[in-house]
Amino acid sequence: MKFFRLLTPLLLAIVAVFCFAPAAWAFCGFYVAKADTKLYNKASQVVIARDGDRTVLTMANDFQGEVKDFAMVVPVPTVLQKEQVRVTETKIIERLDAFSAPRLVEYFDPDPCAPVYPQELSAAPAPAASNESARKRSSDASLGVTVEARFNVGEYDILILSAKESGGLETWLKRNGYKIPRGAKQLLKPYIRSSMKFFVAKVNLDKFEKSGYQFLRPLQISYESPKFMLPIRLGMINATTEQDLIVYILSPQGQAEITNYRTVKIPSDTNVPLFVKDEFADFYKSMFQTAYTKEDKKVGFLEYAWNMGSCDPCSAEPLTPDELKQAGVFWLDDNSPSDVPVSPSFRRPFPRTSVFISRLHVRYTRDKFPEDLIFQQTANSEFFQGRYVLQHPFQGELKCQAGREYKRSLPKRFEQEAQTLAKLTNWKIQDIRNKMKLSVGNLTYSWWENLFSWLGLY
Amino acid sequence: MLLKDIRDYQILFLGLFLVLGIGTRDWTLRPELIGVAIATSLATQWILSLVTGKEQMANLRSALITSLGLGLLLRADCWTTMAIAAAIAIASKFIFQVGDKHFFNPTNFGIISALLLTPDAWVSPGQWGEEWWYGLLFAGTGGMILQRVGRWDTTAAFLGSYSLLEAIRNLWLGWTWDVYWHRLMSGSLLLFALFMITDPRSIPNSRIGRVVWAICIAGLTFILRNYFFISTAVFWALFAFAPLTILLDVLWLAPRFSWQERETDVETLQCNVSQH
Repeated sequence: MKFFRLLTPLLLAIVAVFCFAPAAWAFCGFYVAKADTKLYNKASQVVIARDGDRTVLTMANDFQGEVKDFAMVVPVPTVLQKEQVRVTETKIIERLDAFSAPRLVEYFDPDPCAPVYPQELSAAPAPAASNESARKRSSDASLGVTVEARFNVGEYDILILSAKESGGLETWLKRNGYKIPRGAKQLLKPYIRSSMKFFVAKVNLDKFEKSGYQFLRPLQISYESPKFMLPIRLGMINATTEQDLIVYILSPQGQAEITNYRTVKIPSDTNVPLFVKDEFADFYKSMFQTAYTKEDKKVGFLEYAWNMGSCDPCSAEPLTPDELKQAGVFWLDDNSPSDVPVSPSFRRPFPRTSVFISRLHVRYTRDKFPEDLIFQQTANSEFFQGRYVLQHPFQGELKCQAGREYKRSLPKRFEQEAQTLAKLTNWKIQDIRNKMKLSVGNLTYSWWENLFSWLGLY
Repeated sequence: MLLKDIRDYQILFLGLFLVLGIGTRDWTLRPELIGVAIATSLATQWILSLVTGKEQMANLRSALITSLGLGLLLRADCWTTMAIAAAIAIASKFIFQVGDKHFFNPTNFGIISALLLTPDAWVSPGQWGEEWWYGLLFAGTGGMILQRVGRWDTTAAFLGSYSLLEAIRNLWLGWTWDVYWHRLMSGSLLLFALFMITDPRSIPNSRIGRVVWAICIAGLTFILRNYFFISTAVFWALFAFAPLTILLDVLWLAPRFSWQERETDVETLQCNVSQH
């Protein structure tokens, strides 16, 4: 009997650790900066809200040039009617970007001489509390091209084409004033053969001028298909360099991942030197490039995975139910009015009303990503964020024994931070050390340490 | 003695993949879940052996292989899912028997059960990456040579017919060949071909039966993957064709595989080799 009594709490403890530990694991600290898509001068952004076979796909245009030259050809699984296409606001994608961007947070060391109370260990005072707030038909027979639908949405003229052969489609597009890059024919063929349709959009200049919008707004399409993929091959025809693609996948379930490439978590949760605060954008770009090279340039990176009801620390407020709907989330219950503020402690009991976001960052080239991206949603409810920590040393006077020990421990910690940063970004360790001395001040190195570092040994 | 039984090689290889997988930092494999799978499998095997009085304790090797396979392929959000999958996997061996032979691959049965019965199970086919493909191939083929009596015919028939079907499709669609190779370089496909459909206890006994059976599975996998867009197609195909084993065994009578007959099998094989 005694054995059993001992065993039960043990089993319970195991259950608790296995089942609930990841959910209870929380970040805190003060949010300082974010690495959003503005870092990259050409990054396509796509939002995919999907439940079962139903998909709402939002495509943000990173088009830079004369609006009259804008044209896009996207393979889609089904024929789309006017009701299935709409224009949405750029702001929604900016909101998603801001919410899910990799973030820099800072902590301040407590006074090592002050008596320690248990609650001080949690290290994140007042501002963190705000994180939890705010919840919540004509046909051209000779070419084999059929215009399945033709309509206007907002400032766009949309055509849905189906084709019998790629040469015909290419000729048709050229005749109708679309500039098709060389080599498109070869690439269009597989999509035609897999009986996909083509979503073709052009800007209606009159309407664009009348609308008063300066930039092209994102196009949003809805369809039902078991295909959960993103055609990236067409976009690589005339690309000479690496392209960045940020995919936000909104799911009622859990994390999304790529099924035909590896999905890797971006390095996260590391302490970096304080000067990174001023150059977080450079830091993140270098770190991403280093991780990308290290993985042989053929993986997709997970930058964020979180339930959209909360964030910790928040780099932007969570999206409101209205904003989520604009982003394409269609499974939210309509009976919860969006203007009623939801209390921070309230957790929605039904999974049907929840939205889980996965932010995938794919940097792709023709040689490393031969196949279009295929995704799947999983039940993985683990939270993840790209998060980098600044740990400020205690600045006050240190008079006690613990204080002296604390001070002695600092150089080692700074050195560790420097090495972490060098490893993550591939920056030169000596440059990092030099910069750290500017911001930290009181660190000196002996001549042999400098020599070793110059030799690359230290 | 260690490595006397050919299953020890299989345990060694699967264990090696697991250790390497967990060792690589970005994996979604969770050691504690693998522990749950192993513990549940062994316990279930032990209990059911006692209850039925049929199986010997030595069969814990098979249970270990089943749990390692589950650990490698199945992902779950909560440990209970893994425990359910492991228990069902082992139980299937005792329940679905014809004569003295079970016809569902236990690992596969466990995976499908977890996908169907629990809300939080999934398979990550992409996580093996491409470099792993080579590692798996070398270790797997090496393992098969070591095993000698391993059912290499099944693997060859499966991979051969599947890659042929994919090649025809690729040619018809007009994709470049790098797309084709990328489609075949799915680690979980190879793991499946080398370690799952080669389980001699649950597959047809005769060679012709095994080849027919493997081609059927390859065909269904191809259809499910390309026309129904199911990323876990291989597992569903094997599940669907598992009962066919019984029919094939009746059609082509052959001596049932048993671990004890290994010695004679090796001798026969060596005789065959020396004759040619």
